[in-house]
Amino acid sequence: MKTVMIKTHEVWLETLMAGCMSQTSNKQVLFDFADILFRHFTWLEYELIELGESYTYDRDPVPIKVTRLRELLHDIINRLNEIDLQLLSSPDKELDSRIAGDIRYMREVLLHMDDEVITAFDMKRECPKIKLSQEARDALTLFLFEESYKEYELIMIYNYLRAHSNDAYLNRIFQILIEESLFHFKRFGDMMAKMGILAVPRVVMPELYQIDDVTEFLTKGIDEELAAKEECVKLAEAVAKDSPELSKFFDFINNQENYHIVLMTKALEHLKKENNG
Amino acid sequence: MKVDAQLLEHLMEPKNYGRLESAQLHGIGKNPQNGEKVVVHIEVGEDEDQPYVKDIAFQAVGCSTTVVAGSMLTEEARDLNFNGVKNLVAATMDLLGKLPPEDAACSEMVALALLAAVDTYEKQQEDPQHPILTYNVSQSCTPKEEIQNEEEK
Repeated sequence: MKTVMIKTHEVWLETLMAGCMSQTSNKQVLFDFADILFRHFTWLEYELIELGESYTYDRDPVPIKVTRLRELLHDIINRLNEIDLQLLSSPDKELDSRIAGDIRYMREVLLHMDDEVITAFDMKRECPKIKLSQEARDALTLFLFEESYKEYELIMIYNYLRAHSNDAYLNRIFQILIEESLFHFKRFGDMMAKMGILAVPRVVMPELYQIDDVTEFLTKGIDEELAAKEECVKLAEAVAKDSPELSKFFDFINNQENYHIVLMTKALEHLKKENNG
Repeated sequence: MKVDAQLLEHLMEPKNYGRLESAQLHGIGKNPQNGEKVVVHIEVGEDEDQPYVKDIAFQAVGCSTTVVAGSMLTEEARDLNFNGVKNLVAATMDLLGKLPPEDAACSEMVALALLAAVDTYEKQQEDPQHPILTYNVSQSCTPKEEIQNEEEK
């Protein structure tokens, strides 16, 4: 089961990256499939917890550098086939058949998906219809690498916290934060693909998500969100004269961070109340 | 920071990132100011009684600059004997003054993790149970203008 969870983690990332690369109607289908695979990943994780097996989010690197979408789709299909086979050893037959049914459908759609030329790795660092100065381009590049990893890290952290908490109020907050980070992760990935610098984020170290003190984590997390807001403001200013459109996008991301801070503050208050009560 | 093709390659595909199952040696570099850290894993080879870096990997709790520094330094450390690693660390430390503080702290953290691994090896020659060494950075990660602003407050 542990191997199946790791393999599902890898194919989730690969499918999400394929969605970022696509410039046609394939994009939404690939993003939808990535969402399904992420859910599989969480189901398998719950299964491991129920079985009392220890696990981490360690995984192998996921190579995605292709020039045609077809190459990546073949690899995704192969990975799905492998997962399908390994599921046979799952003790939970209901879970096995639920995932296998999804895999069957996804495999069929991926097999007949139209091919595309991929430019997500050409390193040109040009935004379509936007002319950026060298300084703004460099600032945007560094921001995207930093923040795409950060969003992935947050997805992993909140997912782990959610999996190990039975508190419905906290889990509702963690769920919203996961969805928000998934949205940011896709948007940043999209932008990286357009600029020809798409990359899979590095593996998150276990000590970052295996958190003993959630109160401390949330307190520090609020500070980090405030810092992320500042980065968004700086970037919005750096690109404002070259692209009002891009500037508005980073203002929008900045405003979303406000909501994250509200949610984290609520989670913190709830935890404090629970600990005192 | 200026982004050139070499930096971009390290950002897109960091070299030697992750665990190393064959590693016998580890070292840790830490920034106590913000909790960031780098762990270096080394598989030790023996060449004419000289230990050398047969394989190497690193993991980081830190920013992209730390990952780029880890990617570059571990590439340079590969195949070096341990004296060579010490020279590489010394050369890196000499360069820190020329870097912006936030970049200097990241590079120092990687260099110190390498040094901690080599020093751990030497300690373990005398005492095989000697724990993995951790070295703390001396550089502040805070940009100079922010330190100035804080002081003015």
